[in-house]
Amino acid sequence: MTKFKVFIIVPAYNEEKNIEKIIDEVKPLADELVVVDDGSSDRTFELAKKQGAIVLRHLINRGQGAALQTGDEYALNNQADIVVHFDADGQFLAKEIKEMILPIQNNEADAVFGSRFLCKKSEIPWFKEKIIIPLAGLVNKILINVSLTDPQNGFRALSRKALEKITIENDGMAHCSEILYKVFKNKLTIKEIPVTVVYHDFGQGLLKGKGRGTGGFRIIKDLLLVKLMN
Amino acid sequence: MIQQVFALVIILFFISRLFWQKRNKKISGNEFIFWLIFWGLAALSIVFLRQIDSLVATLGFSGKGIDVLLYLSVIMLFYLVFRLGLKTEKIEKDITKIVREISFKNEKENK
Repeated sequence: MTKFKVFIIVPAYNEEKNIEKIIDEVKPLADELVVVDDGSSDRTFELAKKQGAIVLRHLINRGQGAALQTGDEYALNNQADIVVHFDADGQFLAKEIKEMILPIQNNEADAVFGSRFLCKKSEIPWFKEKIIIPLAGLVNKILINVSLTDPQNGFRALSRKALEKITIENDGMAHCSEILYKVFKNKLTIKEIPVTVVYHDFGQGLLKGKGRGTGGFRIIKDLLLVKLMN
Repeated sequence: MIQQVFALVIILFFISRLFWQKRNKKISGNEFIFWLIFWGLAALSIVFLRQIDSLVATLGFSGKGIDVLLYLSVIMLFYLVFRLGLKTEKIEKDITKIVREISFKNEKENK
């Protein structure tokens, strides 16, 4: 089998509690682990550096979409074949990364998306499962005409071909929909893989979440802006 | 009549501020022309308020000319806020680009 250079991108904003554990778990699975510290005010940067990760530091908080794009550009410039987006809050399981990159290694897909709703059981909070996620799905369907079983899942793997075609322009949380939209627009092949999501706290609310460009209404506004500016 | 004079004084004040800003190079030539035309039209609307009244009546509107001017100004304000929003968004994107480049540069230097 051809050797693929795998980069794992971990955007982190004030994650000093989780970052060391995440790096320990993820580092053995990657050729390069890139932590993008998105202007944290805690010790995220120092801890990630100490653990031996490549750390790109945003001087100010720019949002998760911006952090992912920083990681993607770094990976592209350093000859990555596959990039995995992996959250720093411990929601995803590192052992599932292998399953996520397999379809790209086997040439079955250019973009692989994790889904909480295929087989594996995630303990999703009621409000999120019944209200936020269906609402997000509906907004995606209306605004960008895309439907997946779990469009807001941040666990994804992209081939180099996909990376070259997708530039994340949305700095905030609307990047999930933007990536999907661009994957469909560029006619890239897609695969959904069941993943487990472990919830520590609620994270995303309708009005506000953590960091820049979060909150359900802000995401809808950003999506509309992306549409207008395109 | 007194209200019209009062409105014209305010507009003249804004126009004088505009010339002051232009002289001190605080605004670009395009911006200066845009706002000069804007305040010039506002002054003309005040001077010819009666004519606007009759124009509005001939067009079939029940309100007075001043009401129509008010509606137009609200529309104008919405448009300006919208443009300002787009401009802010562009500035935000530029800031992100700068922050990103700095992060690459720092990483390279710390290698």
